[in-house]
Amino acid sequence: MINRLIDPDEGSISINGTDITSIDEILLRKNIGYVIQQIGLFPHMTVRENIGLIPKIEGWSRDRIEERVKELLTLVHLPPEIFMDRYPKELSGGQQQRIGLARALVMDPPLLLMDEPFGALDPLLRRQLQDEFIAIKENIGRTIVFVTHDINEAFRLGDRIAIMHEGRIVQVGTARDLILTPADPMVAGLVGSEHRYRHLENLTVQDIMLPVSEISVLEASTSISSAIGLMTDAGLEVAVVSDGTSIQGIVRLPDLLRVGQHSETIGSHARSPLILRPDGTALSAISGMKADGDVCALVMDGEELLGIFTPDEVLRRLV
Amino acid sequence: MIDEIQTVWIRYNLTERTIEHLQIFTIALLLAIAIGVATGLLLYRRRRYSPPVFSTLNAVQTFPDIALLILLIPLAGIGTVPTIIACVLYSILPIARNTYTGLISVSPELLEVGRAMGLVERDILIKIRFPLAFPMIAGGIRIAIVFTMGIVTLGGIFGAGGLGAPLQTGINLMRSDIIFVAGIWVGLLAVILDGIAGGIEAELKRRFGSW
Repeated sequence: MINRLIDPDEGSISINGTDITSIDEILLRKNIGYVIQQIGLFPHMTVRENIGLIPKIEGWSRDRIEERVKELLTLVHLPPEIFMDRYPKELSGGQQQRIGLARALVMDPPLLLMDEPFGALDPLLRRQLQDEFIAIKENIGRTIVFVTHDINEAFRLGDRIAIMHEGRIVQVGTARDLILTPADPMVAGLVGSEHRYRHLENLTVQDIMLPVSEISVLEASTSISSAIGLMTDAGLEVAVVSDGTSIQGIVRLPDLLRVGQHSETIGSHARSPLILRPDGTALSAISGMKADGDVCALVMDGEELLGIFTPDEVLRRLV
Repeated sequence: MIDEIQTVWIRYNLTERTIEHLQIFTIALLLAIAIGVATGLLLYRRRRYSPPVFSTLNAVQTFPDIALLILLIPLAGIGTVPTIIACVLYSILPIARNTYTGLISVSPELLEVGRAMGLVERDILIKIRFPLAFPMIAGGIRIAIVFTMGIVTLGGIFGAGGLGAPLQTGINLMRSDIIFVAGIWVGLLAVILDGIAGGIEAELKRRFGSW
């Protein structure tokens, strides 16, 4: 519907604020790359001709088409000299799908539509193409509308996910929004909210950390006894120690209780913790911490403290 | 044996007759291809006319070829022209029908992708539908080749020249040797032409066929 192969019965679709029904449909389609599950490479054309079809109609020179084809084949990891003059039937399913993607990108469209592009591939290959897709996605910096029936694929590949049900958009959000705050029971069932622990891979560190607003940052000069008091009152296991300008480390309540001299300052007992990036996956963070034997990590975006990440907190939130 | 064949061959000018035969055949076939493909294309553009047109062509097809040649006598006399007309009338159907079928039976995904890429209908017809219909069209032409070969021979009996003429002589003189030589030669020619057409068709299928 976005490329007007089908016109809407009601409602409207806008691209960058322009209603698509006001754009010439041929112009619109030339500006939207399109990839479908069946791939749809033209069997009577070589890879070069398939990719170069629209440029040829647009009157590009032979050399320019050839150069563009080579560039795109390289982008999708197919050596141009080997693949350029092959026919689609001489390619494997995965290779065909890459050519399909290359063809969709040929006019450098600002928008890409992908309709279950990996649906017909076996799980291993699908996984591999998804990884490549993520890399290509970063490279080309285009808006991609990606339709899938596989919620995990959506979590893996999508920045924003729209759940459609019976012709309506039920919820739009990140993986975190959908998993932690599903809009209705249908969405909850779809994303498997009741099995949230399964989603460690789909959630980022930032999604399930204890944010800085919910934790205490204590001055390094605080005495151990008052720190114990503050932390027990607030019900906190961990506190961040700061000297006012920069983070010194963290202290854990059990460690503080073990120290005999309660008059010492916490600054001398602060331990430097593992630092996590906010956009890493929760799963890799937990495996990293397990390997190092850490029970608590700081989430930092550069110099800025965003929160604390503890496996305990993850468990509490997800189960 | 070989001597006898040679005698008949030279005596009845079979080399010239063969050339004459192939000339009529070629003209008839080219006309049939042009008209047949054009008819198939027109019917593809105006699909609702296809059932009546194909019914009519089917009716022509069921008409015995001798009867058709006789019916053409008051309109076109005898000789080359009515023979070519009869060939074309018989050959339009297989070519037109295969062209039409080839054009409409392109897989919907390919058409969807073509449209979504921003191809206009004319581009889709020229760059996608036609090439993908080539093997099918070639199949129709191959059938037409066999028809045309038979009718050109028959036309020769009705004064069109070609290899039908010596056959006619053989029948008149009750000379089975002439009938044998000319008849087997016509049959062989038909097989050879059909073989060539089959080769072309297979190559087109390999090149343009879906997989």
